[in-house]
Amino acid sequence: MPSISDIPALPAIHVAIVEDDPGFRDALSKAVQASPDMQLASMAGTRAEGLAMLQGPPADVLLVDLGLPDGSGIDVIVAAVAQWPSCNIMVSTTFGDETHVMRSIEAGAAGYLLKDSSPAKMIDEIRSLASGGSPISPIIARQVLARFRGAAATTAPAAPAAPGTAGADQGAILSVREKEVLDYITRGFTAQEIARLMQLSPFTVRTFVRRIYSKLKVTSKTEAIYEARTLGLLPD
Amino acid sequence: MLRMKIFSSRLFANALFTVSVMLLVAVGAWYVQGDGEAASASLHLTQADWQDADGHSFSAPVPVMNSRDLPSRWQHAALPSALPLAPSPPSLPSPESATAGEKAVRTTWIKVPVTGALPAGPLVLYGIRIKTDGTVAVYANGRLAYRTQQRGQLWNSLFTPLWFTLDQHDGAEPLKEILIRVEHAPETPVGLSSLWVGTAEALRGRYYLRQWLQRELPATLSAAFMVVGIFALFVWFRRRHEMRYLLFFNLAAVSFVGHLHYYVSLPIVTDWFAWLTANALLWLLTVVHLFLRQLHGRPLTWLTCTLVGVTLAASVLSIPVLGILPVYPSTSLLVPFMYAVTVLMGVLVCTMGAKASWRRSREGMLLTIGVGVAVLLGMSDWLLHNNVVNPEGWFLGAYTNAVTFAMFGGLMYRRYIDAITEVEQINASLAQRLQAREAELEISHRLLREAALRQTISEERQRLMQDMHDGLGSSLISAIRSVEHGGVSDAKVSQILKDCLDDLKLTIDSMEPVEADLLLLLATLRFRLEPRFEGSNITLIWDVQELPTLVWLEPSSALHILRIVQESIANILRHTRADRIRVSTARDEDGGGVSVTIEDNGQGFDIGKALDSAAGRGLHNQQRRAKAVDGRVSWSSDAGGTRFTLWLPLVRKIAAV
Repeated sequence: MPSISDIPALPAIHVAIVEDDPGFRDALSKAVQASPDMQLASMAGTRAEGLAMLQGPPADVLLVDLGLPDGSGIDVIVAAVAQWPSCNIMVSTTFGDETHVMRSIEAGAAGYLLKDSSPAKMIDEIRSLASGGSPISPIIARQVLARFRGAAATTAPAAPAAPGTAGADQGAILSVREKEVLDYITRGFTAQEIARLMQLSPFTVRTFVRRIYSKLKVTSKTEAIYEARTLGLLPD
Repeated sequence: MLRMKIFSSRLFANALFTVSVMLLVAVGAWYVQGDGEAASASLHLTQADWQDADGHSFSAPVPVMNSRDLPSRWQHAALPSALPLAPSPPSLPSPESATAGEKAVRTTWIKVPVTGALPAGPLVLYGIRIKTDGTVAVYANGRLAYRTQQRGQLWNSLFTPLWFTLDQHDGAEPLKEILIRVEHAPETPVGLSSLWVGTAEALRGRYYLRQWLQRELPATLSAAFMVVGIFALFVWFRRRHEMRYLLFFNLAAVSFVGHLHYYVSLPIVTDWFAWLTANALLWLLTVVHLFLRQLHGRPLTWLTCTLVGVTLAASVLSIPVLGILPVYPSTSLLVPFMYAVTVLMGVLVCTMGAKASWRRSREGMLLTIGVGVAVLLGMSDWLLHNNVVNPEGWFLGAYTNAVTFAMFGGLMYRRYIDAITEVEQINASLAQRLQAREAELEISHRLLREAALRQTISEERQRLMQDMHDGLGSSLISAIRSVEHGGVSDAKVSQILKDCLDDLKLTIDSMEPVEADLLLLLATLRFRLEPRFEGSNITLIWDVQELPTLVWLEPSSALHILRIVQESIANILRHTRADRIRVSTARDEDGGGVSVTIEDNGQGFDIGKALDSAAGRGLHNQQRRAKAVDGRVSWSSDAGGTRFTLWLPLVRKIAAV
């Protein structure tokens, strides 16, 4: 894991939290406040409060819980992508399971935070996210690979018919290095090990993951458009 | 839209039908056109004078013959007329008459005066027929203009109209008289139709209509019947068990042969062709009768025997080389008798057929009606032959073939339409049955799927309950007990709860889609255990290599493997002072399985002792779980460390339960 010394000195990271569990919210806010390079910007306990919060000044990192009492955190993620475009969104999850994480990433999240992590680990993750890195697990890596294989299969026949989406399609193809990173992760190697194997810095590996996530977002959008066209919901 | 389409296609069909019929009508009209002008551009000759003279042999007509040179015993006749047989006409005064008596030949002269205004231009002479068995010569204004039947009557003479151009020379006097010389046997009468003189344009329609209806149409139908018969023959080649196709071919062949005499220009003499012509009618009747039997299904044994007997007898007895039974053109009385027998047979076949088919076989009735019509047509021919009706009539017997063809064509048409309808119905019912079967299959598939799903859910529930009971449940109970009894540090309780959460995470991971990839499963485990190594001094060496797919790796077996490896690493963390753990994977050289090896550099332990003690429960669990996935675990330990190996098969003997 990257240590503080890896991160160049930056202005304070503004952290916003949408979380209904008061215990976790307190632990998290305490950890943020205890960190000298971070500042707790705002907090919300429900989906409605979260959406209202997005009307205010944007934070650098937004932590969102998916299971909110009045709706899904996915809505907050989607709204944040539109209203706080420069914000790094992070979903907080108990298990980091494939279903929740993939949905969040496709909605626009750049990472996830395991709720049982130690406070130090949490702060590290937030810091890494703020500086452009993203975490990943082997199961997620395998899912991302599968998603890109599926996207390549579905967009290939549609591409000649829709030249306007060519740019988006190009973004939906993984580079060889990106694919290599994902392959290593599915085989159980850590970011540090991969960095050594590929002669990169551990932080670069994490930025690779961020780039892959944004491509996945595009891909899932393209897929949605393709599917909508196939279903006749959108004009060609 | 659809209605529009149907409407337009129906309109198109109607238009197509109308155009086709109009086309045929137009061609017919064009073919016989000009009939209307006949009155103005032609002259109808209906008055004649005639006389007979007997000679002893046939002779060539002289080129020039003036009617005034003939004896003046003309008798008047109105055309058309069958001239009566004079019992004893006076002999022509000629040198040959002296030797008369061997074989007499009668010469009939017919004088037709041409009175009235003739149209200008080249003229033609047209008459429906000159009915005689001898030679015919026609003189115009005393000059030989046309000869026909020079060797006597031909089989088709009766059906061939008289039609020739009257040569006219410049300055010659206009046509005043037509003289016809007919040489024939004294006992056969001469019949003559009325004559027409006029321009070719005016008479052509009349001539063509006669020619077409009396000769060409029946001939065409006869040929068509033959072609359809050959078609039936080819059907029979492929369907030998259906005799009716062969019978149909036989019918067509007999009909064709039996009607050839209407079209061929062979002289009428007693020979094989005469034999064939005379007997074909009986053969035809026999075949039709056999066919009828097939249709109505009644044997009619006596009729069949009689018919076959008469036919065979007549056919054998009249064979030319035997010559016992005479055939036409013989003048014997047996010839009309045989025709009477034929007519009687026809009436019998028709009556009995009708009786047998009545309310039993519509097709049989149809055919019976056909036989009746054919008998009537034959009788009309007989009347014409024997001059009972005037010689301008139609020989309708030529249409017997057409009637037979129409009847059998009708039968075939019905069969064909019925067959198409039947095939359509069969197809429709097949499609219906197929649909029903598909629906049934779909239902049974759904039931199977539901049953399979219920089975899966039930198995999954059992597995999870077992796992919760052994792992999470017992951990939580020990945590509760620790808290209740007190004396346990918060850190210890926190550790127990963390272990519970880890247990839960492994359970969830086991349900993630690992796609039969053992390495991905191990990677997930490492990812989960990573926080444990953080802050410890232990170095984890990840020395894995690609493994073949384990097709049997599904959630329950995944959980077993996760627990085995987790237990192994937990044991190292708990009981040894190792600072290096090496995880490696390998596949067997013989390709039968894969192994996961976990080595540490701790102090080692006595495996036998551990397995026997109560503390060895974890090791027994590992053994049990390995066995559950047809794998095995092994340990080797010394002071330098412990090496744990989990072996898994590539293929399991039986499907995982």
